[in-house]
Amino acid sequence: MTAAPFTQIGRALPRKEDARFLTGAGRYLDDIAPKGTLTASFVRAPHAHARILAINAEAARALPGVVGVFTGKDLALWTTNLRLAPPIEGLHPVEMTTLPIDKVRFHGDPVAVVVARDRYLAEDAAELVDVTYEVLPAITSAAAALAEGAALVDDALPDNLVSHQSFSAGNPLARQTEAARVVETQFDLHRHTHAPMETRGCLADWDRGREHLIMHIGTQAPHPMRSALASRLGLSENQVTVISPDIGGAFGQKIALYREELTVAALARHLARPVHWREDRLENLTAASHARETRCVTRAAVRADGRILGLELKLTEDFGAYCFYPANYMARVIAMILTGPYKIADYAFDVKVVLTNKCGNGPMRAPMAITSWVMEGTIDAVAHALRLDPLDVRRVNALGPADLPYRMATGELLEDITPLETLEAVVAAVGVPEFRARQKAALAEGRLLGLGFCSVVESTTYGSGFYKAAGIPGSGHEAAWVRIEPSGAVNASVGLMGSGQGYESPLAQAVAEGLGVMAEDVNVHMGNTDVAPYGMGSRGGRGATAGGGTLFLCAQKARDKVLAIAAGMLQINDTEGLRLFEGRVELMRGGAWEPTGLTLADVAKCAYLDPTNLPEGVDPGLDASLTYDPPPMTYSNATHACEIEIDRATGALRFDRYLVAEDCGTVLNPIVVQGQQQGAVAMGLSGALYEEVIYDATGQNLTATLADYTIASAVEMPNIELIAMHTPNRRTPAGIKGMAEGGIMGAIGVIAGAVNDALVPLGVSAQAMPFTPPRLRALIRSAGSGAPDIPRKERP
Amino acid sequence: MTEPVSISLTVNGATHDLVVAPRKTLADVLREDLGLTGTHVGCEHGVCGACTILIDGAPARACLTYAVQMEGHELTTIEAVAKSGELTPLQRALTQVHGLQCGFCTPGIVLTFEVWLRDNPDPDEAGVREALSGNICRCTGYQNIVKAVLAAAAEMRRGAGA
Ligand code: FES
Ligand code: FES
Repeated sequence: MTAAPFTQIGRALPRKEDARFLTGAGRYLDDIAPKGTLTASFVRAPHAHARILAINAEAARALPGVVGVFTGKDLALWTTNLRLAPPIEGLHPVEMTTLPIDKVRFHGDPVAVVVARDRYLAEDAAELVDVTYEVLPAITSAAAALAEGAALVDDALPDNLVSHQSFSAGNPLARQTEAARVVETQFDLHRHTHAPMETRGCLADWDRGREHLIMHIGTQAPHPMRSALASRLGLSENQVTVISPDIGGAFGQKIALYREELTVAALARHLARPVHWREDRLENLTAASHARETRCVTRAAVRADGRILGLELKLTEDFGAYCFYPANYMARVIAMILTGPYKIADYAFDVKVVLTNKCGNGPMRAPMAITSWVMEGTIDAVAHALRLDPLDVRRVNALGPADLPYRMATGELLEDITPLETLEAVVAAVGVPEFRARQKAALAEGRLLGLGFCSVVESTTYGSGFYKAAGIPGSGHEAAWVRIEPSGAVNASVGLMGSGQGYESPLAQAVAEGLGVMAEDVNVHMGNTDVAPYGMGSRGGRGATAGGGTLFLCAQKARDKVLAIAAGMLQINDTEGLRLFEGRVELMRGGAWEPTGLTLADVAKCAYLDPTNLPEGVDPGLDASLTYDPPPMTYSNATHACEIEIDRATGALRFDRYLVAEDCGTVLNPIVVQGQQQGAVAMGLSGALYEEVIYDATGQNLTATLADYTIASAVEMPNIELIAMHTPNRRTPAGIKGMAEGGIMGAIGVIAGAVNDALVPLGVSAQAMPFTPPRLRALIRSAGSGAPDIPRKERP
Repeated sequence: MTEPVSISLTVNGATHDLVVAPRKTLADVLREDLGLTGTHVGCEHGVCGACTILIDGAPARACLTYAVQMEGHELTTIEAVAKSGELTPLQRALTQVHGLQCGFCTPGIVLTFEVWLRDNPDPDEAGVREALSGNICRCTGYQNIVKAVLAAAAEMRRGAGA
C-alpha cells in the first residue's frame, strides 16, 4: 500500500532548528540568566538508606554569599506531598514529601538545599552542611527486597512489593500438558539511565507583584508540568507559566516534576528572587532517574514444529526508592504487548515491581524496551531446543495479513501492521544461506560469527482509551490551534514539546498539508503554556500521531473557513470545487485546478480588516482550535537483523552489518524519521553492550561519571541500513502511526540473538546484559566448564 | 583561590578585560562572563566533548581549563565559525544529512572537525569515527555526523580544486 498523495507531508525538509544549533545560537535552560539570579545546590545523601537524625547548616549559612539553607521541614511548609494512588488493583498508594524529612532512601537522595550568589559558592556551602545519619540496611536487589523480614524502603508500606498484577487468558497451564516441550528462558536487562547530554535544570522566577510563577524548564510535557507545579505550590493554574527552552535531549527523563525542581520553584517564591539550578553530571547519573532493571522469565509450551501453544511471563522490576509514576506504569506495557507479532491466544503474566534503595525508575525511551528481546529470545530458545531454524519458528507463529486485525490475548488490537513483511524483507536483504556459509567457514578458523533477527511491534500513541483501561488517570488527547494572521502569515501551536527530535519542520508540514500552504511558511510554537493549548506533551511515540494529527485536523478546520470566505469573495455559492494550494485559492474548472487570483493573504485581510464583507454567518478572524483523542493505541512494526563477530580472545564485538525494515505508516518528514531510527538503534545498542548503572552491596552508586557510565562512541556504533515501509493506519489523521522507540526494542533483541547465535558452537548462552567485552570473554572462557553464565552483578 | 583576579582574554579576535575567580573554568567564564553560550557543558569532567573550543587553533576542553590560564592565548568558540553569517561546508553538510538532533553536542563537534578536516582533507570513515570518539552524542547514533564530515571533506576538496 502506498501513502495518500500528500504534497507537504512526506517532504524531506531540513530541520528549522539546525541553523541556530549549528551556530551556537540555540537557547537552552542554562543560557538564560536574568539579573540577580541565585543558584541552588543540593546536599545529597552519602548512604543508600539512613535515618536523618540532625542537620546542622550553621557553617554553611555563615559563608559570605549564601542566602539560605533549607531542608525538608521548610519545604513541607511551602509545598504539598506527592501522593500517587491510582485505583489499580495490587498497586500500593505511595506518598512522598518534597524533600526527605525522616530518612534517605538512596545514595544521592537530596536532604537539604543551599541557595547562594553563584554555583561555586553554593557548592562550597553544600559541603559544609553537616547531616547526622543512622545507617539502615540497604536493599540493593529485587531478591533482597522480597526476602522475608527485609528492611522497608518505604516505611508506610507493608512490604517492598509496591505493585503486583497477574493476568491469564485461555489456559496456558493446560497448553503445557499438551505440548511437545516447555521451554523456559530468562532475560536480565540491567539498570540504565537516560543521560541526556544536557542535564536537568530549571530557572524559577516569582513575580511578586502579579503573584505569578514563571518556570523555565526543559520539559517534554509543559502543561502537565504546570498542573503539577500549581497544585503542589498551592497556586491556581492561572498563576503559573511554564516555558520550555531548547532541550538538549530528554529521552523520558524530563516529564515528571522532580523534587529538586519543585524545591527551586518554592524557593523562588519564598525568596522573591529568581533561583536557578542545573544539576551536574554526577547528580544526573546518580539521582535524576533510572530505568529498566527488569528480569523476565518465560515458559513457552510448544508443538514439535515450534508453534507456541501457550506462554507464561514472570516479570520483576527493580524500581528503586521513589515512585514519580505509578509503579506498574512501565512493566505493565511490557506484559500487555509481549506477544507482539505472534499469534498466541493462551497467555498469562505475573508482574512484580519492588522498591529498593536505588534512584527511582522512570520511563526511558522505550519503557517497554525489553519486550522484543523477551519474545524473540523465547522464539530463539524454542528453535534451539527443538533444533529448528529460528526463522521457521518465527514464520509458524507469525501474524500474517489474513490474521489482521488481531485482538491480542490481553485485549490489545493490532491492525495495519506488517510483521511478516518486514521479517521477509530483512531475511532477503541479509542473504541467510550465504551468511551461514560464511559463518561455517569462519568457525573452521576458530572465529565466532553470529546472525540475529528481532521483530518489533511498537506501541506508539497511547489514546485516552488505553489509560482508562489501564486504570491510570490521565488523557491521551492532544490540542492545537492554527491562526492565519492578517498578513497571511501562519502561526500554529500544539501541546507537545520536542527535546531534540526536530519537531518544528514535520509539524509545520502537518499544518501546511491540512491548510494548503508551504511548510516553510508555517511557524509552530511549542513549550510556552501561555501560548500553547493544554496538551499532554511528548512521550512514547505520540509526537507524530497525536501532535501532527491534531495539527493536521486543526489546519483543515482553518482551511474550511478560508475557503468559505474565498467563495464569498469570488461570489460563488459553496466551497465545492475550491482549494487552497501553496497559499493560493484555486478553482476546479474542466477537470483542472485554475488560479482564481486570490491568495491566503487576501482572504486573511478580508477576515480581519474588512469583516463587513464576509459571507453571512462567518465570524471575523481566522483562528481555529481543536482537540483530538487518538485511538486507544497505535502500533508501528519493524524487523531488525544484524551480523556480528565476537573476538574470542578479548570478547570484543564487531558489527558486520545492521539492517532494519520498519513500517511506521505515513511519515511527516523522512529525514527526521530516519534520524530517530538511527538514534534509537544506537541508544539500544549502547545500552545493551556498554552502559550499566552499578550499585555495590552497600548501595553506593559506582557509575557517577561518564567515564564509568559508558555511552558508546562513534567507533563502536554501526551504520544502519534502513528499508522503509509505509502502511497507513486507517484510524488516524493522514494514516500516521508514530515511531522512535522501537529502535531500542529491536536493537536489544537483535544483539542478544546475534550473540547467542555466535555462541552456539561453544554451548553457552548469554542471558544477562550488558554484553561488555569482559563479560563475553568470561562467557567464552566458561564454555565447557559447566557454568551457563557469569554472575551479572560482578563488575567487569 | 576564590579571590577574583584581573585577566585579559582574547576570544574570537576581541580582547576582554575581566575579573574572575581563579578557580572559575573557562567554560563558565565564556558562558557567564562573556555571554558566549554556544559552548555547552555536558559533564564538567572532560569526557563528553560538548565544551570543546579552540585554544590557539587546537581543540580543547573548556571545562578542564581555568580561564586564568588563558592569558596570551587565542580562543575560538562556535560563535565565530559562521563568521559572515554563511554556514561553513561542514555546518551545511550537518544540516543537509541530518547530523544533529538536540544540538547540545553540535558546537563541540563542529569545532573539532573544522580543525581536523584542515589536517585530514581526504579522510576515510574509520578515521572520522576515531576522531569523533571524543565527542558523545546521545541522539544521533553518529551515523549522519560521520556522513556529514565525509561530505564536507569532499565539498571542501572540490572547493580547493576549483
Ligand atoms: S563538559 Fe567538558 S568534556 Fe564534557
Ligand atoms: S544531537 Fe543531541 S547529543 Fe548530539
